[in-house]
Amino acid sequence: MKIFWSFTRQAFQFIAAYRFNFFMEFVLVILRMYGIYWVWRVLYTQRPGAFGVSLDQMVTYGVMGMALEMFIWSRPQWYMANQIKSGAIDTDLMKPLDFHLYMLARSTGETLIGVGVLALPALLAAYLLLGVQYPPDAWTGLMFAVSLVLGFLLLFHLNFLLGSLAVVALDIRHISWAYFSLVRFLGGQIVPLWLFPTFLRVVADVLPFKGAYFIPISIYIGKLSGVAAFQALGFQTVWLVILVLLSRLLWGMAHRRLVVQGG
Amino acid sequence: MDGLALYFRLIRVAVQARLQYRADFLAGIIGVIVMNTVTVSLISIMVSRFRHINGWTMWEMVFLYCLWLLGHSLYSFFFWHIRALEEYLVEGTFDQFLLRPASPFIMFLAREVQYIGIADLTFAALGLSLAYRNLDLQWTGVQWLFFGLAVIAGTLIETTLVLMIACISFWTGRSRRASQLLMRLNVMVQYYPIDIFGYTFRLIVTGLIPVAFMNYYPTLMLLGKLDPQSPWSWLGYMSPVVALILVILASGIWHLALRRYSSAGG
Repeated sequence: MKIFWSFTRQAFQFIAAYRFNFFMEFVLVILRMYGIYWVWRVLYTQRPGAFGVSLDQMVTYGVMGMALEMFIWSRPQWYMANQIKSGAIDTDLMKPLDFHLYMLARSTGETLIGVGVLALPALLAAYLLLGVQYPPDAWTGLMFAVSLVLGFLLLFHLNFLLGSLAVVALDIRHISWAYFSLVRFLGGQIVPLWLFPTFLRVVADVLPFKGAYFIPISIYIGKLSGVAAFQALGFQTVWLVILVLLSRLLWGMAHRRLVVQGG
Repeated sequence: MDGLALYFRLIRVAVQARLQYRADFLAGIIGVIVMNTVTVSLISIMVSRFRHINGWTMWEMVFLYCLWLLGHSLYSFFFWHIRALEEYLVEGTFDQFLLRPASPFIMFLAREVQYIGIADLTFAALGLSLAYRNLDLQWTGVQWLFFGLAVIAGTLIETTLVLMIACISFWTGRSRRASQLLMRLNVMVQYYPIDIFGYTFRLIVTGLIPVAFMNYYPTLMLLGKLDPQSPWSWLGYMSPVVALILVILASGIWHLALRRYSSAGG
């Protein structure tokens, strides 16, 4: 637990040192929220109550999706790729700490700061200005929190797997572009899965990406509740277990292959 | 004209240098195609499920995005590295442009190419021709001419805006975040017709940071969506003019910045 806090502190110091950057980042989040707010507002003024969701619910969905951009914000795969490319990864491997856990601690610290300093203030502004809703009741809020943590862990492991790939591919920048757009799309960050045409819905329903955005946000707005919500949490847990095992396995293999140049 | 010949000579060298990395090229092309496909799919799903958004049908939205993308692809092919100006300045590599017996601007522009823009170009051309067919468009010669001008104007608008923001780093040393703000406005304009947003936003992307002239206003004209009743319909024809004004402004700022420049040393 202590290491998690030390990484959180580190991330905070980094932000404090680049205040202007952070302010710009905040403006960007607000702009994203503003954009999606108008899109849904216009669409739902045309057809109120479409797809069994109210305008308020839909706006809340869109704004939450933008707030959860924070989950993509911490990018362990880039850190890993850079360390591998420069050879500095050997100092990470020498630390008396399992590399997988080390990356998790780092990522958690960064995300906590991202949520605390960016997402929450931006959401607060959205509550006041854009008419975003609170969760319908405390129980839903609790389910949402659990689902959110699972979602973060899911995405972290997907990122970690991509980072492990850097051992083989060296440069993962371009693969990352494709990866990020697929996460956003199949995860339902911008357009919820219930709007997808059937064949895409089938694909998105079995893949883990929807656990990062679609499930937590759907629970939050009350679209997923009761048994369905529990099933969704189960879905996230099962995928998380699979991804953790895969990460351990793949990083083990990558570690053995790892060649550090020079140094 | 000598400058132009020199520019293309250097660009050829830059392309050859880039082509040394085949696997990277392929990964980049695939990455860009996936990104664009996702973008168009998102727009299509959203709009087709609601039939239209503020009167814009799916193919009109595809046209809007691909017109932006076409102008953007030329920018990203030739001018992508402008936003990295601050690195040239901070690391002191900018000095070598000043030491050569040619315009430092040309030396800087011809430094690199981002050939991945080819994927954007192909995607945009494909999207536009599909939209052209599905919208049953029949353009006259004048409209084709305007289309060509609008694309070039789009490239120039994006390039000059990025250049002007990058020039901030002559004074402050840093400009990355400011250029990201521009990118974000740009992204909102590229996906959605600005008439769905609030008045202030429209004013900003029209008058202050005129990215709406990259695709929104020319699209109104090219798809016959100009409202003759509106006192603002002439904006549909203004893209080339806006581009020209921005070129003049950017060139002024660039020269001002050069005079201000003192090397980081090293």
